[in-house]
Amino acid sequence: MNWLLRLREARTLAGLGCVLLICVAALDNLAFTDQLMGTTYHRVQLIWFVIGLISAGLVAALDLSYLRRLGPTMYAVLVVLLGAVLVVGREINYSKRWIELGPVNVQPSEFMKLAVILQLADWFDQRRATQPWRLRDLFKPAMIMAIPVILINLEPDLGTSLCVLAIAAGMILYEGVVGRGLVIAAIGLLLTFTVAWETGIIRDYQKGRAEAWYQSMLEDDERQKPPSERTQAEQALWAVGSGRWTGRSDAEAKASVLRHLPFMHTDFALAPFAARFGLLGCMALFLCYAGVVGWALRLADRVHERFDALVAVGVAGLIFWQFFVNAGMVIGLLPVVGVTLPLFSYGGSSALTSFLGIGLLLNMSARRGSQRSGGWNP
Amino acid sequence: MAHALGPSHDARRHRAHNRVALVLVVAAVLALGARLLLVQVLRGDRYEKYAAIERVTKTRAQAPRGVIQTADGAVLARNVESHRLELLTNRIKPGRIPQLLSSLRKLLDLTDAELARLGEELSKETDPRKRRPVVVRRDLVSTHCPYDSSPLQLVDPRPYGFCSTCGRYLEPVPERKTCPFDQRRLVPVDGGKAWHCNSCDRDFSAGAVCPFDGHPVGHGQHILQCPLCKRSFNDEVAVLRANLHHLPEARVVADIQREYPLRYLASHLLGYMGYVQESERQGQVLPWGPPRYALNDRVGRSGLERSLDSVLRGVDGEQILVRRSGNEEQAKDLDELLAAIKPQPPVPGPTLVLTIDSRLQRAAKQAMKDVASGAVAVLDVHSGKLLALYSKPSFDPNTMSGKRAPGARTGGEAVGYSPLINKATSAFAPASTYKIVAAIAGLEEGDVRLDTTMNCPGHYEYGGRRFHCHERRGHGDVDVHTALKVSCDVYFYRLGQVLGLDRMETWARLLGFGEHTGIELPESIGRIPNRVWYRDHVPGGYYPGFALSTAVGQKDVLSTPLQLLRIYAGLATGGVLPNLTLIERFEDAEGRSIVPERAPPRRYTLKPSTWRMLRAALRAVVNEDRGTAAGSKPRTTLLAGKTGTAQAPQRVRKSVAEVLADEPATLARLTEWLKQDHAWFAGYAPADQPEVAIVVFLEHGGSGGHDAAPIARQVLDAWGNLRGLSQPAAAPPSRPKRSPTTAQDRGADSAEPPAAPEAAAPGAAPQPVPAPADDSERRPEREPELAPSVPEAEEEP
Repeated sequence: MNWLLRLREARTLAGLGCVLLICVAALDNLAFTDQLMGTTYHRVQLIWFVIGLISAGLVAALDLSYLRRLGPTMYAVLVVLLGAVLVVGREINYSKRWIELGPVNVQPSEFMKLAVILQLADWFDQRRATQPWRLRDLFKPAMIMAIPVILINLEPDLGTSLCVLAIAAGMILYEGVVGRGLVIAAIGLLLTFTVAWETGIIRDYQKGRAEAWYQSMLEDDERQKPPSERTQAEQALWAVGSGRWTGRSDAEAKASVLRHLPFMHTDFALAPFAARFGLLGCMALFLCYAGVVGWALRLADRVHERFDALVAVGVAGLIFWQFFVNAGMVIGLLPVVGVTLPLFSYGGSSALTSFLGIGLLLNMSARRGSQRSGGWNP
Repeated sequence: MAHALGPSHDARRHRAHNRVALVLVVAAVLALGARLLLVQVLRGDRYEKYAAIERVTKTRAQAPRGVIQTADGAVLARNVESHRLELLTNRIKPGRIPQLLSSLRKLLDLTDAELARLGEELSKETDPRKRRPVVVRRDLVSTHCPYDSSPLQLVDPRPYGFCSTCGRYLEPVPERKTCPFDQRRLVPVDGGKAWHCNSCDRDFSAGAVCPFDGHPVGHGQHILQCPLCKRSFNDEVAVLRANLHHLPEARVVADIQREYPLRYLASHLLGYMGYVQESERQGQVLPWGPPRYALNDRVGRSGLERSLDSVLRGVDGEQILVRRSGNEEQAKDLDELLAAIKPQPPVPGPTLVLTIDSRLQRAAKQAMKDVASGAVAVLDVHSGKLLALYSKPSFDPNTMSGKRAPGARTGGEAVGYSPLINKATSAFAPASTYKIVAAIAGLEEGDVRLDTTMNCPGHYEYGGRRFHCHERRGHGDVDVHTALKVSCDVYFYRLGQVLGLDRMETWARLLGFGEHTGIELPESIGRIPNRVWYRDHVPGGYYPGFALSTAVGQKDVLSTPLQLLRIYAGLATGGVLPNLTLIERFEDAEGRSIVPERAPPRRYTLKPSTWRMLRAALRAVVNEDRGTAAGSKPRTTLLAGKTGTAQAPQRVRKSVAEVLADEPATLARLTEWLKQDHAWFAGYAPADQPEVAIVVFLEHGGSGGHDAAPIARQVLDAWGNLRGLSQPAAAPPSRPKRSPTTAQDRGADSAEPPAAPEAAAPGAAPQPVPAPADDSERRPEREPELAPSVPEAEEEP
């Protein structure tokens, strides 16, 4: 139990504090949207948070090498599940992402993010390169990344597949790639994007969102467009804008555009929050996310194991990319992509994944200093 | 510190990357913060304003449908406000449907079939993504009688029973067994358990069980009564509105409904309206466009309502509804914003003015009053405009369009007489009216001459079979003129044998048989068989005797009354076949009138001698003693035409027999009716300078001369009165005295200067083919010049 006491360290407590603040804000926000929609999501989410915290604690208590051994199996099982989801998955909003497991719908793509982090960290740790990587040596990590990215995109779930791509790319770049490799990868990415755009792999509605976003960035006067033809993104933007510096009262927020904003408990959960707490509240929330990501990055810098460092970077990416893309989308900085705000949007799989990642961070925090020991290894 | 402990990985590179990552994270948060500043502070006031618009919805603004009126200004179809009940599927929880249906049953007089349909549609619409309302497909009774559109009056509560299985209203049994509404004697049903009024089709019963199907009857009280038909109703709109708090799923929606004030007068050419089916909504005008019809829209289901639906319906517009929140100040700012949204007003459907004259139409209806089934049509021969088109039995388009309570639609007395079928556009055997084909073919091809005579002993032997003439005693020696006048079958059997089937077909098609008349209604094109047709369609194939029957318009030849009308108009105008039309013009909201373009008439040419013979013979049919329509001379005009009597015995259809199984008297009458012949009369008037053509068709109506021709006479008398004609009445009486015998007929034939211009230009006669074509073009202008001479010349011999 000695390791548990090491969690007292200030940085760890600060990071954990950020996580809990986000959770409280999320529950408050869900309670508010529940009033609008007549649902009880905040209670369900509270249960998920409790399950998530317990899971995080369990992961913190495990020996990481045990998890590392389990990694390939986890990865394989999740690939199979991602395949299965395409066949037997439950369709919600025209996308097959969920597998029904008794009372809950499980979204394998969320857990896949963690499996990819573990697999990539494991692979790089085994190679222990001292030089930046050449592109041709990165075939295997590229495959580890590409299989889930493609499978998830088939669901279709562009947001999550881009997230996996970003997390994995972040880890590989953290490991270091030679300059020429970077250029080739960038060109390759551009080509892939062009081909995808032209051949319809990027679907029409996605193109429409991208174009709408491009237009909105070019010209700021929405008056040219009648409000009756407003899009979901614009509605969200108005809700955010109505928050001003310190936000509206609940009653005012309720009466506004929020009433008919779709997905305000999931992808657009930030919009009601912004309407109620304004610029200051949003910045506070963003700083909490920055705190969690900073905690993970600092941890990556201080751990001894290459594996640990890469896992920490992966978890940092997991939180950061989702946070940035989602927040950017809601406030109109980025086009609309279906990505949830980690720990904030309603959803069990997403919350559990985030908490498992945080559990990994706690695990490392607890063992910082000691070499390899640590935790329970069944 | 960690570095000092000796990390196992390449620390320097990782450390550098770690710094980059941290910087990126800080930069990202700053970027988000900057954007928030822009959105929430710099543009915040505007977005706040936008956010105050709670909801902006566009709804359909239904375009009023075009009014239909006759050439003389009588309104045939107009729009009235109505109400319907919509059930909002997205507000219905699955378990609630049975409860909802039972409360609707309590409030409205809905039949089981309607409730079953509602239940089925409600349980089908469970997808919350498609929030489409399910409607009760019937107008709610509120202020006007659903039967005759009279304003309803409030009365003391009247008890009534309603059988939800058969949809019958059961009134309390009156003491004296006379109908309290029209004082007729009631007929007992089912041994006195119930009583029925045959004249107003009402049922009376006091029992708790429906005497017709044995199901329990629901009892209630009605408080509205129609002053005209004395039926009683409830104000369903008021009842529903008062109960809407029980029924959060229900909504009473205002609607535009069609009303046909003249009811039975022109049903078949108007048609009726019905709700659009889901399968029809899938069809789009353009593949990428919006659906052609709105949900629960009504479309024309037959007649002009259907064929001109796309024009009459106009163009729907868009209404914009804004629901806003926020304070007054914000609302003021919003107005500026909302001014940019322009509602799109609907374009009303244009008023359709028909060529029909309502007075003549009424006269046609009046003339047909004793006839069970048939059609009358009157045509302006020069323009192709139909002046009257009446088909019987008729129906009330109001009841078909969903205004009337359901269950009461089953046709009543008209069962078996196909009231929904337009008899004028349906094909029947044309009988003797078809004889002109053989006559023209024979004369034009030189198989017979005008003076070729033949003896008619009353029958004709061919192929071991005896073909009878309708005059069993025989007509004696007849030439073509007399054969047409007395409608001698034997003459045409012989002619048919000589000509053969295929040559007759060629001439029939030239005259206009077997082709569309151009009318804006769905129509049959009839059938003109040839040998190939027999080979392909008849098990035994072609048999030479068929040509004989075909020559007299029997066997498999079929023609619609409107086709005959057009063909006789062609005979009247010397070979100009007009395209029939019902459309005089459209008038849009600004009063501009639009006349649709029509194809030019088709022309054909015959020898002048043939024309002369035809005109004389057709005139003789009506105006000479032995003519088959000799008793039907109109008072006001000189009529020419041809009668026809087609043998068409039929059996009662099985489905009809089942419906009428419990009404043996009706069934017997129907059986008897079906055994009778079809009666025809087709002709034109005035005979010397034709203006109108007329066709009378009586389905199983007896004989052409005795039954059809008098109707033509009545209608033409009405036409003459309308035109203010009375002088021609003086001319015809002298006609029949003139030429009683066959020989004199022929003499008259050759001596008579025909109305056709060929007579005025005898030089053209030897080469008839190009010349008459020109003549017929100029004909309408020239005719008035010739006209005065014609009657004089006729008087001479």
